[in-house]
Amino acid sequence: MTIVDLTSMGEPQTEQQREINARLVSLQNEISSYCYQCAKCTSGCEAHKLLELEPHKIVALLKRGLINELVNSDIIWTCMTCMKCRERCPQRVAPIEILFALKNMAVASGKQIPGKYTAMLQSILSLGLIQDIQQITTRMNTTVKRDELGLPPLSKPTDAQKFQAAVMKIATEKV
Amino acid sequence: MTTHMKYALYPGCLMPTEQYAYELSLRESLPVLQVQLVDVPEFSCCGEPMKSVNQLLSLYLAARNIALAEQQQLDLYAPCAMCHLALSECKHILDHNTAMRERINTLLSAENLTYTGSQQVVHTIDLLYDHIGIEKIKQQVKHPLKGWKLAVHYGCHAIRPKEIGRPDDSEHPLKIEAILRALGAEPVEDYPEKLDCCGAPLLANLPESALTKTGQKLQAIQHHGIQGLVDVCPWCHKMFDARQTKAGETIAAKLDVPVFYLTQLLGLAFGLPAEKLGLHLNQSPVEKLTVEGGA
Ligand code: SF4
Ligand code: SF4
Repeated sequence: MTIVDLTSMGEPQTEQQREINARLVSLQNEISSYCYQCAKCTSGCEAHKLLELEPHKIVALLKRGLINELVNSDIIWTCMTCMKCRERCPQRVAPIEILFALKNMAVASGKQIPGKYTAMLQSILSLGLIQDIQQITTRMNTTVKRDELGLPPLSKPTDAQKFQAAVMKIATEKV
Repeated sequence: MTTHMKYALYPGCLMPTEQYAYELSLRESLPVLQVQLVDVPEFSCCGEPMKSVNQLLSLYLAARNIALAEQQQLDLYAPCAMCHLALSECKHILDHNTAMRERINTLLSAENLTYTGSQQVVHTIDLLYDHIGIEKIKQQVKHPLKGWKLAVHYGCHAIRPKEIGRPDDSEHPLKIEAILRALGAEPVEDYPEKLDCCGAPLLANLPESALTKTGQKLQAIQHHGIQGLVDVCPWCHKMFDARQTKAGETIAAKLDVPVFYLTQLLGLAFGLPAEKLGLHLNQSPVEKLTVEGGA
């Protein structure tokens, strides 16, 4: 089993899709009774001015059941996860949770994951962490790594196989 | 004083692989306040960076790390705001949803781990303000940061969502300013951009936009005539400090803002040597304050 099973490009993961879909449907029911389109979420949205994300419109589209359109749109990947929409909604709706579910659905349906997410996931699988120890440059232009600074060894899973097996189970599990 | 507060240091990914100044400075300055940090092997990513990809995977990773600390019967100290959110949210979910807890525990059993919910999770902000307290911090100050006019960046992940309990208030966080005052500095309690995002969450897929966010906030701080910025998250710090020059290029502005980890300032005020606090690792012009500021 490889990373392909866990992310895009492979077979769509039907079990996972079913689960995320159930999540989206319950979110849809919730917002149908609560969201009154005041757009307070959008007024404070960190991604609004810069990238034209409008969380209240995401909510409105989900309310109308346009899940496929949303899953296939690039706009869902502009959310900065600042959680202001969730915090400030007078009706306790959480557009950010809708966005997470939509992105999870995009991945589970085999859509290509944007940017460095695949590389990070690959690194978690092989190392347990999103990246390995980096050599960094000081302000005086010398280079150092963590051991040269007297820091103790990096904490990470030592039995990589066991760790990977568990992570892989999540990708394919049928619980 | 012999009573020690003991925590498992949960380093996460970013701090121990590149944001060394945070790790160095907290390992130096917290023991002065009788905090004992225990290194626990086997930790992995907290899961937060994977939330957009697979939320179940995030939850599993967070639970796995908490379970490792539970084995040692230690509370966790997560200096990264992202990690702290992942672990706190995982606790909140698994403590309230038994079905999910069982599901995660079935997965954890492959590594002989169990989540029980016995241990707590703290971040730098509540560790210093609520668990140690301002008075104890004040007692250790040897070189007050006199005249340092500083802005604080809390980081979205440290203060939201309120519902699950966060280290400070989601709209009017003021604990770090109180800590800075205890160190002798002059924090600016409010500035219009105080709650603006650092941009880091977009680094993975929209780096230009991420840097624009970073640059805009730094530029505003510069405009306000504030001398420096303080943060408490390796992601925020990576943006404001390591990427400051790039952020400036992105918004076509010359940025020149010294950026510090709160734990570095703690150490400076306690009279610890700058090198031990990793001040040579900051990429922003910190000497504008450390030299001219007289600390
Ligand atoms: S989600 Fe909340 S804040 Fe956004 S439009 Fe609906 S009710 Fe208003
Ligand atoms: S969490 Fe995302 S959608 Fe919500 S306000 Fe922040 S950037 Fe906008």
